Amino acid sequence: MFWQIVRKEILESLLSVRFTLAIVFSIVLFAASTFFSVDRYRAQSQEYWRRVNENLTGFRRQSDQLCKLAFYEQNAYRQPKVLALCAGGSEDLLPGHFTFDGFDISLPQIAGQSNFTLPRFSDLDWAFIISLVLSFTAFVFAYDCICGEKETGTLRLILSGATPRVTLLLAKYVGLMLTLAIPLFMGLAVALIILIASGAETAGLVPWARVVGIVLTSFLYLSIFVFLGMFVSARAARPANSMAALLLAWVVLLIVIPSLGRLVSDKFSHAHTPEEFQRAKSEAQKQIDDRFISGAYGPNAGATGSNRDDPSVNPRGRAQGTIEGTEALNRVVDAHHERMLAQAEAGRRFTCISPAVVYRRVCEIIACTGIDRSRSLYRQIKTYQQNLRDFIISEDRSDPDSLHILFDDAPRVAEWTTISHKPPSFEAVPKFLERDLALGESLGLAVWDLGLLALFNLVFFAGAWISFARYDVR
Amino acid sequence: MIWKIAAKEFLLNLMTFKFVVGTVLCVVLVVIFVPVLAEDYRQRLQQYDERVADIEAKLRQVKAYRVLTPTVYRRPQVLSVFSQGMEKRLGDSARIDFGVIPQIDARPAEVNPYLSIFPAFDVLLIFKIVMSALALLVAYDVVSREKEQGTLSLMLAHPIPRGHVLLGKLAAGSLTLAVPATIAFIAGLLLLSSSRSVVLTGADWVRILMMYIASLLFVLSMYNIGLLFSCLTRSSALALVLGLFFWVLAVAVVPDGSAYLARRLQPAETVEGRDEQIAALEKQFDKDLTAGFEALPGGGWEHDAGGPFDPYGPIGGAFSYYPMLCTPAGFTHWIQRGQMEAGLRMKYADKFRDAGRQYSDSQIRQATVARRIGMISPTCLYDGAMTALAGTDLADFESWAQAAATFRETVIAYIRNKTDNLSSVSCYTQSTEEERIAFEKASEEERRTLAKTVERHTVPLNLEDLPRFAYPTDAGRSLRRAGTDLMLLVVFNVLFFGLSFAAFQKYDVR
Repeated sequence: MFWQIVRKEILESLLSVRFTLAIVFSIVLFAASTFFSVDRYRAQSQEYWRRVNENLTGFRRQSDQLCKLAFYEQNAYRQPKVLALCAGGSEDLLPGHFTFDGFDISLPQIAGQSNFTLPRFSDLDWAFIISLVLSFTAFVFAYDCICGEKETGTLRLILSGATPRVTLLLAKYVGLMLTLAIPLFMGLAVALIILIASGAETAGLVPWARVVGIVLTSFLYLSIFVFLGMFVSARAARPANSMAALLLAWVVLLIVIPSLGRLVSDKFSHAHTPEEFQRAKSEAQKQIDDRFISGAYGPNAGATGSNRDDPSVNPRGRAQGTIEGTEALNRVVDAHHERMLAQAEAGRRFTCISPAVVYRRVCEIIACTGIDRSRSLYRQIKTYQQNLRDFIISEDRSDPDSLHILFDDAPRVAEWTTISHKPPSFEAVPKFLERDLALGESLGLAVWDLGLLALFNLVFFAGAWISFARYDVR
Repeated sequence: MIWKIAAKEFLLNLMTFKFVVGTVLCVVLVVIFVPVLAEDYRQRLQQYDERVADIEAKLRQVKAYRVLTPTVYRRPQVLSVFSQGMEKRLGDSARIDFGVIPQIDARPAEVNPYLSIFPAFDVLLIFKIVMSALALLVAYDVVSREKEQGTLSLMLAHPIPRGHVLLGKLAAGSLTLAVPATIAFIAGLLLLSSSRSVVLTGADWVRILMMYIASLLFVLSMYNIGLLFSCLTRSSALALVLGLFFWVLAVAVVPDGSAYLARRLQPAETVEGRDEQIAALEKQFDKDLTAGFEALPGGGWEHDAGGPFDPYGPIGGAFSYYPMLCTPAGFTHWIQRGQMEAGLRMKYADKFRDAGRQYSDSQIRQATVARRIGMISPTCLYDGAMTALAGTDLADFESWAQAAATFRETVIAYIRNKTDNLSSVSCYTQSTEEERIAFEKASEEERRTLAKTVERHTVPLNLEDLPRFAYPTDAGRSLRRAGTDLMLLVVFNVLFFGLSFAAFQKYDVR
C-alpha cells in the first residue's frame, strides 16, 4: 500500500502544471547559474594567478639576502573556487585581500570587482536556487497534500481502508520528496553537463565529494519544507488557507529572518570603530615606548647607531623591545579582526532560526567559501608568517657573523647583521598559497548545522504526524 | 453596479483567512521593526552629529589657512527607515582639500566590512515581500473562484458589462489592499515620529505621501498580475501556482538576477586596477613635488630647518603641517613653496579624480545596467521609486558628492581670498616680521624662548565667515528621480489590467 500511495502521488504531480513549471525554473536557473559561474571563475582565476605570480616575482627579488625576506610586503588574495557555483558565500562583498610581511598583517581589504553601488544581491548559485526556488516548489507541491485530498473526499476513502495514518503520511512524504528530486536532479544534471563541457578544473575526487555533500544536504533541507508543508496542510481545512499560511511562513523563514542579521549584529555586538582601533594601537605602542624610555630593555635599547659593536647601541635590548612591540600591536590587530568576525557571527547565529540560513552556511562550509573562509585565510597567513620566521632563523644559524636575532626593524636588522646577509635558496623559502580545509575538517565544522537541519526535520515531522493523527477527515 | 460588486468583494476579502494573516503579519512586522530601525537611525544621526561637532571643534583650533582642510559628512536620511538604499553601503564623508576632489566613494561605509553579507532590512522589504504576496493571494481567485462556484455565470446572466465586473473587482482589490498598507504606514509613521531623534519636515511628509502612493501602485500592480492569471485559467489552484511562481520571479529571482547579470554583461574595473593607477599618480606627484622644491630659489628643504612646526595641524592629513616661526628668507620660501604645492595639488586633484572616476563610473554603469534589467519586475521599479523618494539612492549620493566638490571650490576660493592667493602671512604663520628677523639673529637658546612667545600669541583663526557645507533634502529632486519608476508602475498597472480585461472578455464562464 505504501508504494502504491507513493506512485499515485508521483504520477499525480507529474501531470500537474506546477511540476512543469518547477522543471522549467530549475533547468533554466541551474543552467544560467553554472554558465555564469564558470565564466566568472575563469576570469577570476586568470587575474588571481597573475597577481600571485607578481607577488612571487617581487618576493624572489627580495630574497637576495636572508635578512630581507621577512620584510617583503606580500599580497594574499582569496583564490577563486570552482565550487563557488554551488555556494558563492557572498564573497564578492567580503574583503578578500591581505597585505603582510613576516611580522605584520593588514586588516582585510576589498578586492576585485566588488561593486557596492549595485543593490545588495545574493549569488545566483545552487544554494540560492535550492534554498529559495526549490523550497518554494516544495511548498507548492505539499500545500494541498492532505487538505486537498480532504476537500476532494479521497482522504476519507483511503483511510476507510486498513491503511494506518502514519503509513499514508510517510508515503506522501516519500512521494513528494521523489517528485521534488526530479526537478532538482534535472537541474543538477544540466549544470554538471555545462561544468564538465566547460573544462573547468574539477580534477580529483574531493571536489566531487563536496558536490555530493551539498546535494545530500539539499535533500535534508528540502525535506524540512516538505514536512512543514504537510504539517500546515494537516492543520488547514482548505488548500487556499494552507497556501496562504505556507507562503507567509516562507516569507518569514527565507526573507524576513535572514534580513535581520544586520540589525542583530549592530544591536548586540560591537566592533571597534577605526578611531578606537587606532587608539588601541597607539596605546600599545606607547606602552612599549615607555618601557624603552624607562630602560626596561637595558641601556641604549632605543639607540639606532649604525655599528652594532658601538657601546652606544644595544641590539639585543632593541630587538627584545621591538619584538614585544610587534606582538602587542599584532594582538590589537588580531583582537580587532576577531571582533569584526564575531560581530558578523552574532547576526548569523541569530538568523540560524531559519533553515535557509543554516543550509547556506553548510553549503559554504563544504564548498570552502564565505565568511569562515576569510577567518581561515587570516589564520593561514598568521601560520605562514611563523613558518617564514622559523625558516629565516634556521637558515641564519649557519652564519657565524650574524647575531641570530630577527625583529621587525628592517634597517637595524640589515645594518647590525642580526640576520645573515647571505642569499637563501628561493626554492626552499616557504611561499604562501591558500589551502582549502580537508573534506573531513569541513564536515566536522558543518556537523552542528547538519544536526540543526535534522532537528528541523524531526520537529516538523512530529508536527505533521500529530496534526495528521488528529485530523478530522470529514 | 460597479460599486455593488466592489462592496461585495471587499467585504468577502476582509473576512478571509489570508487577508487577516497577511495584514497581521505586515502590521506586526512594521510595529516591531520601525522602532528598531528608528533607533538605528538615531545612532547614525548621533554619530553624524559627533563627527560634525568634532570637525567644528578642530576648525576652532586652526591657526593657519594652510591647514584649513575640513571634512564634510553626509547626514543620514530620516526616510532610510523606509528604504535604506545605499546608506551604509557607500562612503559618507569627503575631505575638503586642494589635492582631493570629492566624488562618489564606491567603498562600503561600514566600520566592519564583514557586515556587507547581510541584506538591508527596512519597511520597503516588508512591503515588497509581504504586501505583494498578499496582493497575489487576494487576486488569484477573483474570477476563477466565481467560475468554480458558478456565481460568475449567474452574475453575467444579468445585463452587466464584463468590464464593469472587472472594474468592480479591481476597486475591491484596491480597497482591500489599501487597508493593510494604510494601517502599516500609519503605525510606522506614528512610531517613527514618536522617536526623539526624528524630526519630519514638510518636504519629508510630501515624500512620505509619495511613498504611500508608490506602495499602493506596487501592490495594485501585483494584484493586477494575480487578476490576469485568474482570468487566464479555469481553476483557482492553477492561477495560484502560476501567480506564485511569477511572484518568486518578481521578488527574488529578477532583483538578484539583474545584479548578477549586470556583472557579467558590464564588467567593472577592479579595486587593484584603481589602486595601481593612484599609486602611480602618487609616485609621479612626489617626483613633481620634489622637482618643484628643487626649482625654488634657494632650492630644497633647507629653509624648513630651524623653526618650530605644528607637524599635523588640528585636522591632520597631507597638507597639514605649517611653520609657526621661521626666518624672513624661510618665510619667503614658504610662500613660494605653498603656492607651488597648492598649484601642483590642484593639478593632481584632477588626475586623481579621473582615476577614481574611471573606477566609480564603471561601477555606476554596471548598477545602471542592473537597474534597467530589473525594470521588467514591478518589485525593482518599486524599490527604485522608494529609494529615490527616501533620498538613499545612488543618484542622491552622486549629487551629495557633487555638492561636496562645489563646497571644495568655495573653501579654496575662501582661502585664496583670505590669503591674497596664498601669498599672505596668515596662510602660514602668525609670527610678526620683527619676530622672524629676531629669530634669524637669535642663538639656539633665544630661538627656543622666541618660539614659545610666538606659540603663546598664535591664536585660532576667526572662521565664522567660512561657508559651512549644507546638503538640504529636496523633495522636488527626489520626486523627479522617482518619476520614471512611478510612471512605469502606472504603465504596468494599465498593461496588466488591460490584459486581464482582454482575457476576461473571452472568458468561458460555463
